[in-house]
Amino acid sequence: MGKVARQVVEQAGIEVNVLLDKLVRAAGAEFTTFYYYTILRVNSIGFDGEGLKEIIEDARIEDRNHFKALTPRIYELGGALPRDIRGFADVAGCPDAYLPSNPRDMKAMLNVLVEAERCAVRTYTEICNMTFGKDHRTYDLALAILHEEVEHEAWFSEYLTEGPSGHFRRGTPGTSPYVRRFMSADIG
Amino acid sequence: MALQKLARVEEIPPGRTKFFRLGSKTVILANWAGQIYALHGICPHRNNPLEGAILWGHLLDCPWHHFQYDVRNGENHFPRNVYPADLPRLQEQVRPLRTYPIEVKEGEVWVDLE
Repeated sequence: MGKVARQVVEQAGIEVNVLLDKLVRAAGAEFTTFYYYTILRVNSIGFDGEGLKEIIEDARIEDRNHFKALTPRIYELGGALPRDIRGFADVAGCPDAYLPSNPRDMKAMLNVLVEAERCAVRTYTEICNMTFGKDHRTYDLALAILHEEVEHEAWFSEYLTEGPSGHFRRGTPGTSPYVRRFMSADIG
Repeated sequence: MALQKLARVEEIPPGRTKFFRLGSKTVILANWAGQIYALHGICPHRNNPLEGAILWGHLLDCPWHHFQYDVRNGENHFPRNVYPADLPRLQEQVRPLRTYPIEVKEGEVWVDLE
């Protein structure tokens, strides 16, 4: 824990325990989404699914990256991840992204994906709103994650023909162009 | 019908919610597009209070797990719209949120909690 790091956030008027609850829930959602997206990606097969698979893979890895980037901030502020992973899944801030009853139904799968991303967009918008101008480090992190979640939503939305996203492939899968700088342990 | 005065209209501007504890009961008022709706204040998903719930259009967003309810009828919108039908136990999580009749009289919001 960073004693002063927490103190400055408290003095800025943020209820740190409330913020920590939101951060742990967000981390839980990223972790469980990584799990569920693995299942969705494995099932994205056939003519339509093969194209979708790459995009799910980008989102899957970037959601894992979000978990990795959030975790240090939780501990810096004096929080902790739940000791029991079952409890962690229970507090996850977004519903589970279940594989549809018919895994060959690409539209159903896309609806699961786009709704999961929309939940994430709402989550990080709330954290940004809460921390803006008060907790600069958490705000910067949440904004970086928000950038990627907005892109994920746009990718899946584009597949549902809701409009072009302007999306181009990541250079390599799950590059996390915005969050990468927070993953200090991964940068060589 | 036992109406109970909860608030003045101006306390719940459009797009906002207000949470009330009334003894053992909880209620949340939501103003969508100038119309005020009253809903039970506990999310039926995990029985968490809806205090601090945000409105996204006509959908009330639970701050705990982001389950969303239509303020007009209390029906769960998300994740009911994506939960698979072949996992029936999930349907218990997406039960509707109870709604209460309201009347607006002379700028005051009255709710029937019976």
